[in-house]
Amino acid sequence: MNKLNEIPGKNPFKVPDNYFEEVNRKIISEAARTDHDIKKVSFLSRYRNNLLIAASVTGFILLTYTGIKVFSHSDRNTKVSEILNDINPDSFMNDIDISSLESETTILPPQAGPDVSKKEIIDYLLLENIELSDIYEQL
Amino acid sequence: MSIISADDNISGFFKTDPEKGFRLLVEKYSQKLYWHIRRLVILHEDADDALQNTFINVWKSIGNFRSESTLYTWLYTIATNEALALINKRKRNSSVSIDGLESYFASSMEGSTWFDGDAAEMKLQNAVLLLPEKQRIVFNLKYYDDMPYEEMSRVLNTSEGALKASYHHAVKKVESYLLNN
Repeated sequence: MNKLNEIPGKNPFKVPDNYFEEVNRKIISEAARTDHDIKKVSFLSRYRNNLLIAASVTGFILLTYTGIKVFSHSDRNTKVSEILNDINPDSFMNDIDISSLESETTILPPQAGPDVSKKEIIDYLLLENIELSDIYEQL
Repeated sequence: MSIISADDNISGFFKTDPEKGFRLLVEKYSQKLYWHIRRLVILHEDADDALQNTFINVWKSIGNFRSESTLYTWLYTIATNEALALINKRKRNSSVSIDGLESYFASSMEGSTWFDGDAAEMKLQNAVLLLPEKQRIVFNLKYYDDMPYEEMSRVLNTSEGALKASYHHAVKKVESYLLNN
């Protein structure tokens, strides 16, 4: 180790006069030019994934909400316009007068089914060789 | 104020006022990083290029700086990578063979306006240039910058034990060169 210790270990290199002041200025002005582009790109690239997730979640919530509203309405007397009003209050359906639609619609009486007695059904099942237990299994 | 808390002050500006934070960073670290790079790339023009690239890369990723790494080690890591990238580019583009690149650097120092060392320092630089790349970095960081092994381990992503061994081998080789030349 002696030989190495004999050397003072100071920095043997030099730089031009005022180099550091000039290079600092150059770096800072170069960064200022780079600044704008980076911010534009980095905003989109940084938040792109979050925006995609947010859009997917919003879409899913809207679809679920619409599905629930449309398919789970057990009250058959609820008018279609009420449902549509819940989904989109600005819907064009608001412009339609539902009472006039209802009056114009011919409501058919429920179709009467064929008059079949219980006995006839049992006879038919026996004729077709269908066991009652098979029917229960299917239920 | 300690280096770490002064650096915390600077990195604190990265979110609130990045321009100011960056300016403080450049003013504080440009000289230290320049000398670190210069000892690796030898030529002033190359060190100048690598220093500017280092800070532009720092600026580009200033929003990604995480406080779990210190500013000091983050900067040295980027600067070291820039210096090595430049050396590799020189090796690829140079008409001088890879083995001859060290002697090319050595001859560039001799008679250069930007080399201020005496004969002993020139000899030391020649010895350091003959070291393998990693040993050269470890030797410079320890011998000239007196960087603790813990910090160096973060900069070079190498265990402290391996760095100590690397420095030990580097010193032995340098000693041997100084004795025999």
